[in-house]
Amino acid sequence: MADSLDGNLNDILQKAKDAINAAEQPTVLEDLRVQFLGKKGELTSQLKQIGGLPPAERPKFGDLVNQIKQEVAELLNNKRTALELEELALAIAAEKIDVTLPGRGSKTGGLHPVTRTMQRIEDIFIAMGFGVATGPEIEDDFHNFEALNIPAEHPARAMHDTFYVGGSNLLRTHTSPVQVRYMLDQQPPINIIAPGRVYRCDSDVTHTPMFHQVEGLMVDEGISFADLKGVLTHFLKQFFEADLQIRLRPSYFPFTEPSAEVDISCVFCADADGHAQGCRVCKHTGWIEILGSGMVHPEVFKHVGIDSEKYTGFAFGVGVERLAMLRYGVDDLRLFFDNDLTFLRQFK
Amino acid sequence: MIISEQWLRDWVGVDLDTQAIADCLTNAGLEVDGVQAMAGSIDNLVVGQVVSVEKHPDADRLNVTKVNIGDSVLDIVCGAANVRADLLVAVATVGAKLPNGLKIKKAKVRGIESNGMLCSASELGLEESSAGLIELDDDAEIGQRIDEYLNLDDSLIDIDLTPNRGDCLSVQGIARELRVLANGDYHPVDIENVTASVDDTIEIELVDAVACPRYFGRVIKGISQDVTTPIWMQERLRRSGVRPISPIVDITNFVMMELGQPMHAFDQNKLSEKIIVRQSMVGETIKLLDDSEATLDGDTLVIADSKGPIAIAGVMGGLESAIDDSTANIVLEAAHFTRRVSAGRARRYGLHTESSHRFERGVDPQLPNAAIERATELVLEICGGQTGPVCEQKNESGLSAKPPVAVRLKRLEQLLGMSLEQDEVGGILGRIADSVETTDSGWSVSPPSYRFDIVYEADLVEEVARVKGYANIPTALPRIAPTSITASEDSVGIRQVRQTLIARDYNEAITYSFIDPESQSRFGDEKPVALDNPLADSMSVMRTSLLPGLMNALQFNANRQHERVRLFEIGASYHLSADGFDEVQRLAGVIMGPKHDAQWGISKPQSVDFYDVKADLEALLNLTGQKEPFIFNEFEHVSLHPGQVCQVSRSNNDGSEERLGYLGKLHPNLQKQYGLTADIFVFELDLNKALQAQLPVYQGVSKFPSIKRDLSVVVSEDLAVSQLLNTVSASVGKALSKAVVFDVYQGSGVPAGSKSVSLSLILQHKDRTMTDEEAESAFQKALQILQNEFDAEIRS
Repeated sequence: MADSLDGNLNDILQKAKDAINAAEQPTVLEDLRVQFLGKKGELTSQLKQIGGLPPAERPKFGDLVNQIKQEVAELLNNKRTALELEELALAIAAEKIDVTLPGRGSKTGGLHPVTRTMQRIEDIFIAMGFGVATGPEIEDDFHNFEALNIPAEHPARAMHDTFYVGGSNLLRTHTSPVQVRYMLDQQPPINIIAPGRVYRCDSDVTHTPMFHQVEGLMVDEGISFADLKGVLTHFLKQFFEADLQIRLRPSYFPFTEPSAEVDISCVFCADADGHAQGCRVCKHTGWIEILGSGMVHPEVFKHVGIDSEKYTGFAFGVGVERLAMLRYGVDDLRLFFDNDLTFLRQFK
Repeated sequence: MIISEQWLRDWVGVDLDTQAIADCLTNAGLEVDGVQAMAGSIDNLVVGQVVSVEKHPDADRLNVTKVNIGDSVLDIVCGAANVRADLLVAVATVGAKLPNGLKIKKAKVRGIESNGMLCSASELGLEESSAGLIELDDDAEIGQRIDEYLNLDDSLIDIDLTPNRGDCLSVQGIARELRVLANGDYHPVDIENVTASVDDTIEIELVDAVACPRYFGRVIKGISQDVTTPIWMQERLRRSGVRPISPIVDITNFVMMELGQPMHAFDQNKLSEKIIVRQSMVGETIKLLDDSEATLDGDTLVIADSKGPIAIAGVMGGLESAIDDSTANIVLEAAHFTRRVSAGRARRYGLHTESSHRFERGVDPQLPNAAIERATELVLEICGGQTGPVCEQKNESGLSAKPPVAVRLKRLEQLLGMSLEQDEVGGILGRIADSVETTDSGWSVSPPSYRFDIVYEADLVEEVARVKGYANIPTALPRIAPTSITASEDSVGIRQVRQTLIARDYNEAITYSFIDPESQSRFGDEKPVALDNPLADSMSVMRTSLLPGLMNALQFNANRQHERVRLFEIGASYHLSADGFDEVQRLAGVIMGPKHDAQWGISKPQSVDFYDVKADLEALLNLTGQKEPFIFNEFEHVSLHPGQVCQVSRSNNDGSEERLGYLGKLHPNLQKQYGLTADIFVFELDLNKALQAQLPVYQGVSKFPSIKRDLSVVVSEDLAVSQLLNTVSASVGKALSKAVVFDVYQGSGVPAGSKSVSLSLILQHKDRTMTDEEAESAFQKALQILQNEFDAEIRS
């Protein structure tokens, strides 16, 4: 009796194995689970025959049935996992896309190169501890000229082709009036930069009637020409991210004395050590004129009520478009104000 | 200013080559713009004398000449009109290579053998273009090398002088500078007083002796009319960028280039009585040397005779008193006109001359004496004649020496940021100044009469610094005191605004602050700030809005095949105000074209509409963190579509509303004027007002679940959805954490004149779980109110 029961069990096991092997769908496996392992399943019903066995054989038979049930369950599980993996692999294969197609939706725009440059200048000076100040663009003669030691009919005025407004007012020809306004308002220590639009009555290949400057001013006890050199050298090296050669040349601005024009070694023809070889951009001099600077003139301090015996300071002014042209290789100033998208989009 | 290196070396000996001189000047603030070498050494180019001239048998315009070059006589075919027997010429013989690259070979010209070429000044690289052969002076020796005779081993140094260094506008000035900078061996030209040989004088009346504290005049009689300016002088003038004209004019120009004193010569026979130096009278006219006529104001110094003005002092002479081919007697003028009286005068009459350029910058008041003697000497030498005595009128008080300027060693060291040797500084100052006295703290320096730029201690600091060399000043980094300007959280950073728009696919534009009145008037009739002297009509008024400029930029791009344009700009608008001018920082944007760039997956690109722009604006306003909603009210604007425009306002805590700007669709008429076919949407905000931000205040985070209920109602199409939302919000109260409009529909199923609006209400308590009953009750209450207030019909 027991042997025949055992034989049955083996048959059922074999049948289950064959059916599981043959199964191709997870649903079939579920059916097989019910068929063999369910409450009314074939193996479960075998267990019900245990009562017909001699008591001594019952445990062994019971163990055997359970063992086979376990084996079938395991086979079912393995097969299910295998089928799921297969199904997933198929699904994945079916979901393959062309990853080279461009992404959808909105693109992004970009900053105007002048703004981009201005922000860069600001960042460098802010990191050094400077603040940002602003002032009006429609100025008066006092702030734009008089207080900067440029009296009426001064030859330096000829260099500032001025737009006049309503007779006595004007569009500021430089950002320097911001230093005057700031110093009238604040006693030292002063360390500011003043970015903004400026205007000159001039328009040709290398001049636009409006352009941008950043003015800088530092006033405190003991500020020297060596400090001016240090701050501007640091700024220019940071801005161009290069170990540039910096050259200061004596120059003339009515509101600074001593005054200095600052040149950098040409960024277009410099070798690895920063020594320029000479090219068209630097007119084969190896140097590019980059900004004007100097120690604040005592007459300017007098105009704004700062004691020039106690305080000294330096000021500088840099053309933003010029820096942008050098930094990004733009060769035509006028492009900045055409606002051609084909141009603007190159400065993302 | 252009200066000949040879001429300079005549005045100062320095052990520097051309480039080193240029570098030395540049590094001292006399910026050398360029150095141009002359022809240099040219072999087979010699002085020759034309022996005979015969017509070429087969060419009308050619002559066959025999030219003596010392060791031989050459047959040379020549086409120049001024070729004649006995003329001393520059002969390029076979093998010569001219500066323009031409190589001289033996040649047959129309059948006649030619063994060289007779040269013009331009062929020798002396000038741009020439009319005929260069005619050499009698002192040229036949057979002498031309490069030696004409000093062709020379360079032209172009110096860009700053306005404070008028004293350097001459050979003398640059030579003095090299003496200071390079310790050069300075040897100025010897000028001796020329003794009068006739008694003729000219009466000089200094009416305005403040403006002209010194005036020298001198009569020279009986000058020869058929002399030419010697080649050496012509060459020096040419190499200084001055065109030779006639002997007397050339001499005055030569003295100006050499010494720095502008001079003038009148035809004595054309003068009435005397020379009067006075201010002009209003409305007086003078015909000038350049053939123009100036109508004078009452504030211009003139040289006049008893009949009227004969020159604008220090600017230009008059035509009527000018010397010409028949002039026999002249009056030379060398005067000092102050900077003050010269400033801006030339420009007032649209003039700019070598003379005015110098007087505006300051000419040495001690110079006229030397200049008039030098000029007299040259006139007598070149033109002959007999000179009268120097006639002088002066005002001593206007010629007093410049006050000494003190400079302290400590101050020098502090300003330059370096320690200095007393001896070295003393040495530098000694080379610059007439006299230097040592004081307890430093020096007292008497500036030379020609240095108008040494007034303050700071000026001497610069002198010391530039002579020492800026490169020798150390580099330091100052300790910077923390700035009081910090970014405040009470406004949104402008960079964040830019980044937000860029992230939404806008490109930043920068347009001119001035614009043409017509473009401007399309966007309103505010009276703009007008420029007194615009460059052009198209840039004649200051913008009152950023939109006209941005629209021009949009149009520019539309005309260049950009169908999708999204631009914004941040900048000021300018307004007339009661007390002058107002500048308002604004942000404006213009958009046109499809919502997205053409791309796969979007088969039918949708055009942007009002709500796209509104979303951009809301994204910006959202940066402020303001809790009260912004208000979008109906609005009218002349340039915008009446049905698609609104004003943007902020609702303040006190219930007031502050207008921030507006947005809308460009009016179809205006769109047509721009020649654009696609819809355009624009916005403009008062940036400072719009960016006012609120500090975030932590409100707590509810741990309790929310309940979402959807609500669809049909209401009149005229009912603003904002009104609907406000009513629902008021009815539900604090439990409403959010209400979202998720659908607005008109069409089939909805009666005409109505619209269906669907809202999602998110209901939540902060302190406890919201029950279904509570949610349902709130929901029903909202429905009830909508029914009552708006006659809303519940859908589905």
